[in-house]
Amino acid sequence: MLLLRRLRYLFKMSLAVSLRRALLLLLSGAIFILTVLYWNQGVIKTQSYNEAQLRPHIQKDHSSILIPLEKSWTYKCDNDRCVRVNYHRNGANVKRVSFISCSMTCGDINIWPHPTSKSQVSSHTLRFSVEDLQLRLDTPHHDVRRRLKLAFDVLVRQLRQIQRLEYASPHAEAMASASEPSAKSTDAAESPLAGGLFSSTFGSHRSGDLDSLHVKLSVHESDELNFNLDNDESYELVTSLDHRRLIVHIRAKTFFGARHGLSTLQQLIWYDDEERLLRTYASSVVNDAPKFRYRGLMLDTSRHFFSVDAIKRTISAMGLAKLNRFHWHITDAQSFPYISRHYPELAEHGAYSDSETYSEQDVREVNEYAKIFGVQVLLEIDAPAHAGNGWDWGPKRGLGELSLCINQQPWSFYCGEPPCGQLNPKNNHTYLILQRLYEEFLQLTGPTDIFHLGGDEVNLDCWAQYFNDTDLRGLWCDFMLQSNARLKVANGNVAPKHVVVWSSALTNTKCLPNSQFVVQVWGGSTWQENYDLLDNGYNIIFSHVDAWYLDCGFGSWRATGEAACSPYRTWQNVYKHRPWERMRLDKKRRKQVLGGEACLWTEQVDEGQLDNRLWPRVAALAERLWSDPNDDHDFDIVPPEVFRRISVFRNRLVELGIKAEALFPKYCAQNPGECI
Amino acid sequence: MILKSIMHCYLPLLLCVAAVAAGSVPDDSSENSRTTTSKWLCDSTDLCLPEEDLLPENGQMQPKHRFESQLDCRLSCGKYGAIWPMPTGECSLSNDRVHFDPWKVRFNVVAPNEVTTQFLRETNRLFVSNLLKECTRNCTLVSSKEVLVKATVNDSSLVLNWSTDESYMMVVRTTDTVSFVDIKATTVYGARLAFETLSNLVTGSVSNGLLLVSSARIIDRPAYPHRGLLLDTSRNFLPLRYIRNTLDAMAASKLNVLHWHVVDTHSFPLEITRVPEMQRYGAYSNTQTYSHTDALNLVKYARLRGIRIILEIDGPSHAGNGWQWGPAAGLGNMSVCLNKTPWRSYCVQPPCGQLNPLNDHMFAVLKEILEDVAELGAPEETIHMGGDEVYIPCWNRTEEITNEMKARGYDLSEESFLRLWSQFHQRNVQAWDDINLRMYPSVRESKPVILWSSRLTDPETIEQLLPKERFIIQTWVSADNSLNRNLLQRGYRLLISTKDAWYLDHGFWGSTSYYNWRKVYDNALPLDPRKRQERQVLGGEVCMWSEYVDQNSLEARIWPRAGAAAERLWSNPKSSANLAQRRFYRYRERLIARGIHPDAVVPHWCVLHEGQCL
Repeated sequence: MLLLRRLRYLFKMSLAVSLRRALLLLLSGAIFILTVLYWNQGVIKTQSYNEAQLRPHIQKDHSSILIPLEKSWTYKCDNDRCVRVNYHRNGANVKRVSFISCSMTCGDINIWPHPTSKSQVSSHTLRFSVEDLQLRLDTPHHDVRRRLKLAFDVLVRQLRQIQRLEYASPHAEAMASASEPSAKSTDAAESPLAGGLFSSTFGSHRSGDLDSLHVKLSVHESDELNFNLDNDESYELVTSLDHRRLIVHIRAKTFFGARHGLSTLQQLIWYDDEERLLRTYASSVVNDAPKFRYRGLMLDTSRHFFSVDAIKRTISAMGLAKLNRFHWHITDAQSFPYISRHYPELAEHGAYSDSETYSEQDVREVNEYAKIFGVQVLLEIDAPAHAGNGWDWGPKRGLGELSLCINQQPWSFYCGEPPCGQLNPKNNHTYLILQRLYEEFLQLTGPTDIFHLGGDEVNLDCWAQYFNDTDLRGLWCDFMLQSNARLKVANGNVAPKHVVVWSSALTNTKCLPNSQFVVQVWGGSTWQENYDLLDNGYNIIFSHVDAWYLDCGFGSWRATGEAACSPYRTWQNVYKHRPWERMRLDKKRRKQVLGGEACLWTEQVDEGQLDNRLWPRVAALAERLWSDPNDDHDFDIVPPEVFRRISVFRNRLVELGIKAEALFPKYCAQNPGECI
Repeated sequence: MILKSIMHCYLPLLLCVAAVAAGSVPDDSSENSRTTTSKWLCDSTDLCLPEEDLLPENGQMQPKHRFESQLDCRLSCGKYGAIWPMPTGECSLSNDRVHFDPWKVRFNVVAPNEVTTQFLRETNRLFVSNLLKECTRNCTLVSSKEVLVKATVNDSSLVLNWSTDESYMMVVRTTDTVSFVDIKATTVYGARLAFETLSNLVTGSVSNGLLLVSSARIIDRPAYPHRGLLLDTSRNFLPLRYIRNTLDAMAASKLNVLHWHVVDTHSFPLEITRVPEMQRYGAYSNTQTYSHTDALNLVKYARLRGIRIILEIDGPSHAGNGWQWGPAAGLGNMSVCLNKTPWRSYCVQPPCGQLNPLNDHMFAVLKEILEDVAELGAPEETIHMGGDEVYIPCWNRTEEITNEMKARGYDLSEESFLRLWSQFHQRNVQAWDDINLRMYPSVRESKPVILWSSRLTDPETIEQLLPKERFIIQTWVSADNSLNRNLLQRGYRLLISTKDAWYLDHGFWGSTSYYNWRKVYDNALPLDPRKRQERQVLGGEVCMWSEYVDQNSLEARIWPRAGAAAERLWSNPKSSANLAQRRFYRYRERLIARGIHPDAVVPHWCVLHEGQCL
């Protein structure tokens, strides 16, 4: 203060008017500086308490933050394992290596499911952008050509998504916080800046080490596009570099094999968040073919409705994991969402609401979409049990009771879970309706050598209320045979080669001919029926409740009774399950095993949790059925190498918009092998 | 020409109207949409049933009132209608409805000062935005009754802690021209809760607009002052948006504490302005962080929803990544056993890491962290200091520690380690007090801090190690454990997180099992001994540990189960989950309307057909 007064005094006393203005400016500047200094002093004071003197380094660090905030870690490969290292760029030009780039070049080939034959990738990798991709089709078959083009478009679309994700997510966060005035995120405010800076200089248009990436798809042998269990799904993928042109050559006997090759290629490409470009190997060789023919996933859309979008999303993920059968349990006793052309009454009476329905167009759309991913859609109308709501209009139309015990109480006397309902085995109209439904399904999904008739959990007490037959089980058997006969009619008088039914008391008898019937075994994996069915000559699809039921583990949904099948099956449970090994099947019996299927019953799932209930556990099944890796060394522990690959695959799913569940703390993903 | 275009435009519309008219003719062929055409009744057992399902031969009196839909029926079927959690005092709801337009609701706020008035204005805004989400169709009505809401608050303070009065009283009445809602509460938080209840008296109408229960009288107060949810953002990071969604759902459930387990051994996402190294060395990546401002804004966001955020800085165990820069900075090892393998020899869960209780630098850094935390919260807010799962063999196997202990005259017995551990907490509480004294001189009493139950809280020895005036113990033992009873007898205040009911992460790892909403609901808290004047069981928390959960499955794992705990903590009902299920299903659907993705609990059929899935 004294100083100020003195200055003013001097100024008044001795200076000319012309200089006054300049000095006034100077003075106000000085005052400002003094104020700032004074202010800062205060701030420092409030912070400086006893311990501050212990840490003199802090001031030093503040002035020169060496680590760019966005890059905390770099990774190096050490004994086939990526090790996380805090990233200091001490002036030297040490490039930061992103986790994914380390992981993809460290150890065995990192794709899911693991190829079944010898495969190799180079350690030399190249940067490129999705714009560099070019397709060369090498097939004489016109329809195959068309579909390969569609499959390739999917690849390009997904790679675009992968390359763009980095910019998309912080932006979305910024949008969310902008709309919420009381919560402004500072990191969101920073990110667009960083993103903008990088994208303008190294945006997706910047090419990397390549002028072009040619994807050559060769399919010569077969023009087969219809699904059957004998489809050759093998493929060979060879990458070679010619100057600045990378050629990926995928050779397969059929479309199906070539498509799997594209799925492999998609996983051989990753987004390097350091370079902000895609990366792939300079050379690679993959020879691959599945171990099992039937690799399925079942979704129940009756207990809860799932939108066509959700189903398509699921199928796209199935394609990435090389699964090939989508078993659509489209109706059950709870609801009948399918709008039949011949019998719209079924959905009118059985759908939860007008919007919770599937039109023929919806089914066709799902089917067309699935074909591109090499996934066959198999529609199941469960019968005779699990059919109630939607079947109650018979008497009004003069067709008699189509279904019995509908919504009858107390339910536990007449069915496995509420609401009850079981088709009337002595009403010809029931069979006629089934025949029409089969016909519609076959028209919508195309020719097939396999069809699912349901056939599980028949409650004989329900029928006993109506019929005096002494052999109610015989009635059940007759029902199955009758509906199978109707299926043949619906299929243009050609019986499908395989007809699937769920395992039940009926399949323990020999009433269904083993030449045609396939049994989907959903009982316990240690049950005797597993052996008996094989001994009786049936082909088998495994869906053991104790390993591959994905709905288990959420407690009982009813007020009474125990939880049906707790606990939850972890992805390790799914992965480790190898019934054909545990049962020590000989060569002949192994041949009867067509494959396996994971089941998602949806009493306790709706669309909000679909993705995380399925993934990454379905992926675990996919590798079990595609490559069936040996785990002789230890039956109970999943090898670290599997953790490493499934973690990368799970992240890939998330990048593609599948809300897959977390496998473990992110720390464990960033530090492979440390959490086992 | 014009005529033609009009025809063009209106022809489809006309056809459509004709079709609707044809459809509404009561003939056999169109009774498909029974949910929309039939009337609903509330039967004597409080089930909402469509008229045709209610058989007259039951010998019961037919209820008189017809409702337009199941949702409409649910609003007043049963004593508590669709209110979740159920009120603890008087509750009467009429069967009549007011058809109203949410855009036209008018508010009158009577509050003692500017800040409380402002708070209530914000509450009104949030209330309206929640109402709009209930609209099944267009919200706007051409003509509707006016709804006037008056909220009166006496207390001028915005303090939110365990002694905040959250009670409220609400009366709804309707005259020929207008509906009045009269809300009276002591604090703004009580008033906010009344608005939450009011939103439970509203549902979408099958035509445009909303329906409101036309007259109601509700007196309500919570059973427990601490109704919490723990969120772990260290094992897996959760973007802010998901935390905000969680806070929204908590507000809808009348939960009032978010226990933010923000850091752990795995990662340190929180920015500490005084010690930037913590985040720099501890975060998974730069995008997986919370800045100081983020946290401040989150605290504000929560408060507007009547929620406290209590931050937890866990220690001495569960602290590793983020602390590894000590040696390079000349501060020595602040955390020991850091990321050491094989982890089973050094900790209970990988990665390992436990603070070095003999390193003064560590205490200095921790104090600066505490200072940052104190800055984030309101003046009255306290802190959770963790204190669980200390793995003594880690310290015992670290030469640096054993040598120093010997030098300071400790032997290496278990008692010594426990003493060391309790001194760790005492020293931090001292630091916490210093900070608060300086930062918030207006807060007179020193605030108690929260610790997890552990070896240290063994009832036999706790009184020597942790004074009950300063430490509130959050127990995480199973329901049959005697720890709660023993600690209560010794006069400790408790928060209950029953391990075998309220650990939402269970059922997906090891031999743990999943607790469905019924189990969560039925988990009764231990009784207060009532010897003292003061309440000892402050409440409880459901815990969402995030080892196997990230943003992709977070919401489904927490909701609607946390809502079941919310009713336990708010109403502490004597009845079991069975009696609550229909209200609970309605509550779940309300969450969905508000943009949350809760897990499904029963087939949709069971929601539509009440009483059929027992």
